Amino acid sequence: MDDAERQGRIFETMFARLALTAARPLPPALLQPALDLIVATLRRNHPHAFARLEELDDAEVLIDPVDLPLAFRLRLGPAGVRLRLCRRDGEAAGAVIRGEFPVLLDLLEGRTDGDALFFSRDLVIEGDTAVVVALRNAVDGEDIDLAADLAAALGPFARLLAPARQAATRLHDDLAELHGLLLSPATRRLEGVERRLARLEKKSH
Amino acid sequence: MELICPAGTLAALRAAVDAGADSVYVGFRDETNARNFPGLNFSRDELREGLAYAHAHGRNVFVAINTYARAGSPEAWHRAIDDAATLGADAVILADLGMLDYAARRHPDLRLHLSVQASASNPEAIALYKEAFGIRRVVLPRVLTIPDIARLNAEIDVETEVFVFGGMCPMAEGRCSLSSYATGHSPNGQGVCSPASHVRYEQRGDDLVSRLGEFTINVFEDGEPAGYPTLCKGRFVANDRASYLFEEPTSLNAISLLPELKAAGVHALKIEGRQRGRAYISAVVRACRQAVDAFEAGKPVPAAALSEITEGQRDTAGAYKKTWR
Repeated sequence: MDDAERQGRIFETMFARLALTAARPLPPALLQPALDLIVATLRRNHPHAFARLEELDDAEVLIDPVDLPLAFRLRLGPAGVRLRLCRRDGEAAGAVIRGEFPVLLDLLEGRTDGDALFFSRDLVIEGDTAVVVALRNAVDGEDIDLAADLAAALGPFARLLAPARQAATRLHDDLAELHGLLLSPATRRLEGVERRLARLEKKSH
Repeated sequence: MELICPAGTLAALRAAVDAGADSVYVGFRDETNARNFPGLNFSRDELREGLAYAHAHGRNVFVAINTYARAGSPEAWHRAIDDAATLGADAVILADLGMLDYAARRHPDLRLHLSVQASASNPEAIALYKEAFGIRRVVLPRVLTIPDIARLNAEIDVETEVFVFGGMCPMAEGRCSLSSYATGHSPNGQGVCSPASHVRYEQRGDDLVSRLGEFTINVFEDGEPAGYPTLCKGRFVANDRASYLFEEPTSLNAISLLPELKAAGVHALKIEGRQRGRAYISAVVRACRQAVDAFEAGKPVPAAALSEITEGQRDTAGAYKKTWR
């Protein structure tokens, strides 16, 4: 992943976390127009993928980004594709896809391989595996770039994205550095304990 | 050596071509091919588009029609062969004797490759397929050592294609009934091994449990790399000990053996994985392209760091370096 892609992921994850944290106390109906707009934009840009998703039998998939405060329910089938916000511990869905938000975004955009994520345990699948496989294949067959798709839908406001993305990356890197500084005494102590443990284990053999 | 790469979608086909595939193999979206997975594979229109893309870049497209036709209703397989020929596929990959006969009679100019699913591993079998149907290439089953391949090539006059990377099957290609036993569906008949419709994953505490039909296939501890939920890769308890009775979850990686495979007379190298995402296709094809180019330029073959995307996150040279009897 190059620097621009890394910046993109940091920005998208921070944006999604902020948006969903702000959304948590609100009634879901208030946010539905924004989700409908995202789905409509994707449908317009990727009609083949949506045709494949609408050929499926009715199904609901819980898409659970474990590092965000809320999850999504994705409805598939002839009645049309619909995305809704939900609580991850709410009503059971036919299938579940669970992973960190950047991982799920990479999967949506075909930047990573779903099987490889499953092998490495970065992706958790539950429920109707056939629906999950069909969904994965439908999106992997398209060249989706969510940020570009949505930026195009924003029109003139898209110009604000580049500076926002740079600011978010700077903030993320500063926070990571601060995090490292705060944790470094504890990390050093832990490393010392590990070394002592290793020596003890060696002696006991 | 020719590099043959998989594609389950148009985007994957483009990724394979862009990453340096000489040829791409694909299947139609039905039971006529051995990767009949939900949402995967090509419609006729998509194949037309894929052929145009590949041909514009000077590459080939092969169509795998490599399941065994259902007794009494071979129409879907006939249609697949007719459409592949009409649309301009560069070869069809077949296993069924009846379909080889049909293709040879109806489309005498269509190049025929014998699928790995035919499991032809001796000179007599291969000579018969050549004499009867005019096959031009055989995809060798993954049971032969490199000396076996060299001896075979000395006795046959068709091209040989071997797997160089990707998922492994137990050594009974085209004849394996494990999936059929567990689910009623097999790669040989319905084109799907361990169909997703019969697979369930459950989190049991920190453990991941994979189930196929009535069978528990595996229990992976927290952090342990996982594998496909196929019976052949199952970890079963026998004599009070849980172990992989058939095969471990691991992938073939024979990229470092290119010099030996070339010396054994191999014409084409095949990558497995039409069911994989285009990120896998790009990474593996690019690594194999670099290896083939380096080898053909007389340079050392670079090691391919691909273990992160392989099943079980491990690889093996399989039967090419057979150490068992």
